Amino acid sequence: MELSRRHFIEAGMGVGVVGALGACANLGSAQTQPEMPAWHLGYQNAPTNGFDPAPMKLAFGKPPVDLAGSLYRNGPAQLQYGDQSLDHWFDGDGLIHRIAVEDGQAVHKARFVDTKKRREEQKAQAFLASGFGTVGDERFSIEGPDDVNAGNTSVLMVNGELLALWEAGSAFAMDADSLETKGPKAWRDDLKGMPFLAHPKVEPDGRVWNLAVGGSRVGIYRIGASGVLEDFGLVDIGRSAYIHDWTMTERQLIILVQPWVSASPLPPVVAGLEWQPQHGLQMLIVDKDDFTNQRWAQAPARMFFHTGSAWEESDGTIKFDAVLYKEPVFGVDGGGAEIRGEWTGETASETGVLTQVVIPKSGDARLIETRIVGEFPQVDPRFRGKSRNLVSLASGASGNRPGATGLATHDWTTGESRNFDFGDNRMVEEFLFVPKTGGSSDRDSWLVGTVLNLKAGVSELCVFDAANVSDGPVCIWQAEYSWPLGFHGTWA
Amino acid sequence: MNRTASIAALIATSLLAAPLALASELTVNVEGITEAQGSISLGLFDQATYEGNGAVDGANLTVEGDRVTVTFDGVEPGEYAVKLFHDVNGDGEMNTNPFGMPTEPFAFSNDAKGRFGPAKWDDAKFSVTADGAVHTITMN
Repeated sequence: MELSRRHFIEAGMGVGVVGALGACANLGSAQTQPEMPAWHLGYQNAPTNGFDPAPMKLAFGKPPVDLAGSLYRNGPAQLQYGDQSLDHWFDGDGLIHRIAVEDGQAVHKARFVDTKKRREEQKAQAFLASGFGTVGDERFSIEGPDDVNAGNTSVLMVNGELLALWEAGSAFAMDADSLETKGPKAWRDDLKGMPFLAHPKVEPDGRVWNLAVGGSRVGIYRIGASGVLEDFGLVDIGRSAYIHDWTMTERQLIILVQPWVSASPLPPVVAGLEWQPQHGLQMLIVDKDDFTNQRWAQAPARMFFHTGSAWEESDGTIKFDAVLYKEPVFGVDGGGAEIRGEWTGETASETGVLTQVVIPKSGDARLIETRIVGEFPQVDPRFRGKSRNLVSLASGASGNRPGATGLATHDWTTGESRNFDFGDNRMVEEFLFVPKTGGSSDRDSWLVGTVLNLKAGVSELCVFDAANVSDGPVCIWQAEYSWPLGFHGTWA
Repeated sequence: MNRTASIAALIATSLLAAPLALASELTVNVEGITEAQGSISLGLFDQATYEGNGAVDGANLTVEGDRVTVTFDGVEPGEYAVKLFHDVNGDGEMNTNPFGMPTEPFAFSNDAKGRFGPAKWDDAKFSVTADGAVHTITMN
């Protein structure tokens, strides 16, 4: 089924689409570099002014009638200035996409987040700011974290306000329709310029929790569904661990203190990070109602970027899923080679494994590894913090290029894994759960995400049935152009 | 007569000018203030005091519009720099967020900017001559 469906998609789209769109596939991209491998399309600049609204063409299948809303996504989309390439994928300027889906139609638009970094670098036509993997230019002034804010990692919608998220500085408020930048978001006057991680956790009722990481001190935001800050507190995690994501149950926040520790605050950030596996993977569990009520749990040393979500069993056992690495390899290299078009296959061995972390009420945590290799784990938003079945990941590796080749789901209840592999011709990004109308289980969901069709040279929006991803896409819309690979999104 | 008058005038001028030559007038304009409340706390530093807290002179200026001006008398000619912050809430302190980053606007002379810290002396310094000086800082 998998192969035949994939081949059908290739046959149905490959020939016609390449013929029809191939010639103009790159019109939307600022640069076409014929000497680069096909996959380098995922690492090329978006046009300076983003993308004006453009309908996407239904290229395969039949759109679900109940699918209505917008996929907002963020990702680094300024990766070169002339001959100067970014050294690290995490440092490109954020491009906010909106793909609005209604009545079977999909319309794409995108705008860059208007930051000081982007304004000054556009003016100079050169990378100047320091970053996660970028040393930066001495002439670039840095009076606070927002001066180097790339606004490039994810998005959050709170009470109709769209926020572009980075992790070491403020969220940037955006107009959800025009995608124009309003400016840095201050949750309270005394919290101006505080970091706001790119992985806030939204409870099913709309309350948002997030962290601010500053060395060994971690701030905790509790934001009501109305968008008003309800509480802010500080906890200490003991060391300056790199924290990109975290997780929570209904009652607890779980701060994963991985043994990847900052030994130097000087840029670039990644150069100051040391792998100290002797610490193991420690987890600080914080009571949502009383931040001083804490306990620690311990697991074997692992590096991670992303969690799925956690829940607490009736006996107090906490379980969550995460993609865990034996050591921090990708984060160190950071896609610099890919941006230069130099991928050699070495990074193919850097496998993140979908793992369930089981924290008993007392004693060490256990790691239950699946066989699924992937990234960008996602769960149904109706079940964040609650017991559930499914997690989805962009999965599969090609021997010929970087990036994921398919979509996988794992059902923790049945132990069953499913996947669909597009093969070498599509680079697969994060897929989000969108609840089906009337359904009550997370299996009653659509999975909506973007892929980069390398054969046609265009970006696509794909929909799968979460219960049967191995059946292949339910439908695919195709843009008339491509945009660079991104990180995370939200459905609103 | 003419000569005598000239000499007298010269002496008078010298007597008057002598203290002026050693102590000039410096006017500092601060523009681009975004919130018309609170006060601007402004310190004038020479190279010896710039890295520390002891300014050679200073002023606290009530903000009622988008600009304030202060004139320092008796400033010895030389190189100086200004550090200032806008005490928007009037609590007498430069407020910071929990991680120590300023949450109230601040600026340096020459509109100099820092890099992981305050602006450097070399970027913020300006000259006050025997004729005095007028220096304008724009908040942003």
